[in-house]
Amino acid sequence: MQEPRPFWNPYVGGVVLGLVLLGSFLIVGNGLGASGAANRLGIGAASVVAHDAVAANAYFSEYVGPGKNVLDDWLVFEVLGVVLGGAIGAYSGGRMRRGITMGKRPVSPWTRLALAFAGGLIMGVAARFGRGCTSGQALTGGSVLSLGSWVFMMCVFAGGYLVAPLVRRQWR
Amino acid sequence: MMFPLSVHFGHEAGLILGTLIGIGFGFTLERSGFGQAPILAAQFYGSDTRVLKVMFTAIITALVGMTVLSGVGLLDMSTLQIPPTFLGPQIVGGLLLGVGFIVSGYCPGTSWVSMASGNWDGLATILGVIAGSLGFGLAYPLVGDFYLSGSMGVVRLPQLLGVPQAILAAGVVAMAIGAFLFAEWVETTLARRRNEAPPAASAATRNKVFAGLGIATVLGLASMALPAVTVPEAPVKSVAAWDALALAKALVERPGAVQVVDLRAPETCAEKRIPGAMCRQAGDADAAFLSDLAATRTLVLYGDSDIKDLPAGARRFGGEIALLTGGFSAFETGILAIPALAVGATAEALADWRLRSALGAWFSGTKVQAPPPVVRPATPVPSDAPVRKGGGC
Repeated sequence: MQEPRPFWNPYVGGVVLGLVLLGSFLIVGNGLGASGAANRLGIGAASVVAHDAVAANAYFSEYVGPGKNVLDDWLVFEVLGVVLGGAIGAYSGGRMRRGITMGKRPVSPWTRLALAFAGGLIMGVAARFGRGCTSGQALTGGSVLSLGSWVFMMCVFAGGYLVAPLVRRQWR
Repeated sequence: MMFPLSVHFGHEAGLILGTLIGIGFGFTLERSGFGQAPILAAQFYGSDTRVLKVMFTAIITALVGMTVLSGVGLLDMSTLQIPPTFLGPQIVGGLLLGVGFIVSGYCPGTSWVSMASGNWDGLATILGVIAGSLGFGLAYPLVGDFYLSGSMGVVRLPQLLGVPQAILAAGVVAMAIGAFLFAEWVETTLARRRNEAPPAASAATRNKVFAGLGIATVLGLASMALPAVTVPEAPVKSVAAWDALALAKALVERPGAVQVVDLRAPETCAEKRIPGAMCRQAGDADAAFLSDLAATRTLVLYGDSDIKDLPAGARRFGGEIALLTGGFSAFETGILAIPALAVGATAEALADWRLRSALGAWFSGTKVQAPPPVVRPATPVPSDAPVRKGGGC
């Protein structure tokens, strides 16, 4: 088995990421995002299973009104690209393998998956209140000096540091 | 103004470009190490502060780039899509997102990269985010009021603080570099205490990046010395008059081609306005902000009723201007309230009513009322008809 390629220097990674973000603003006029696509995928799946209930919901109905396709959105295609780009990066970097990433002290795979799901669940709610996540709000809004984005970003770090000691066993 | 280029292409081309931009985004996140949860989580234990370094370097790179481009007149910042501020919900959302981040080990964006690298925990996080979003929607009747509270519209720090963007950008760059040096000090100090090796990183590369960002920041500051690009006050421009129907159709068919501004008092506007319209600020009698709006879109102005005199800001606006005939009340009665259809209407009147009720439904968010059911004479079903069983194909 070949050794995987080393990761980029974080400052170099940051500059490249910043240029991708800048390119996005210059070309299409908006920044990057992620959680909005998950929201739309979820609403799309739910409307297949229970169309009437979704259309009757005050929040979901904004996305599924007549003549609207919930998946016909810039973010959905951008996240499709993220998956492709991530796969290209992992494959060419020799890191493409099925597995579960965990901290130094191994926990059972099901514990790790349950924690990953639980964290995702919290972030799904959080990203709706925040109108975005680390990509759409902190990174994108931060770079255009939006007030709400900077407040959001500081709160993300605050929330993470506050709870980190409680879940230390998982990572250290 | 050359950028953004989006005025030159349509929705489908935007989706294709979005996929390509996403590929660059995903590839960069993977190469930065963000497809693996322990690397991301290390940020919160001070052992590897990659998250901070990558994220803040990206923010200042894009910020300084936009500052230089708008400083030399190539980019129009006011045309960019900037997330609006909802202060309270964003504080709660940020705190919760941080909690979810350290529990799961990913943020929503990096979980897609992790899944793409083959990690099941990345997939579990994505499923969690989807479930959480749906849960939010289901709980919307309970949390909707809070979700919509604290709305401040698009608030950018340069306008809020009254400081030019180039100076703020220089401050943010200085702050970020200070944070990076502090984070590196934390990394080495904790590594020594824990008897671990600090994350390997080349100081020479770091210094080159800092130098490059520093030069770009200075260029941004230097661009302030350039003469500001101001649109001269045109003598008298031809101002179009649009009726409510024309405006409603334009908003539905070409939402990117019009910019609607409400010239009524800010409080009235805050209460109820044409969907998507901007309000003026209190104390801004000349509506000076109008001259800064993108001249590529038709500026549609409206008041309570017909506007007689254009405010000074509108006279300095570079593009086409249209005034809404009859003002807000015409839009309210003509579009927002779905008109009743008289019995025995002509085909023309019927077509007009169909259009108006569809537009009314679009803007008010209510559904179009179904036409009354056609009563069909009952046909007796023969009792010995074969009963169909099972589904179709």
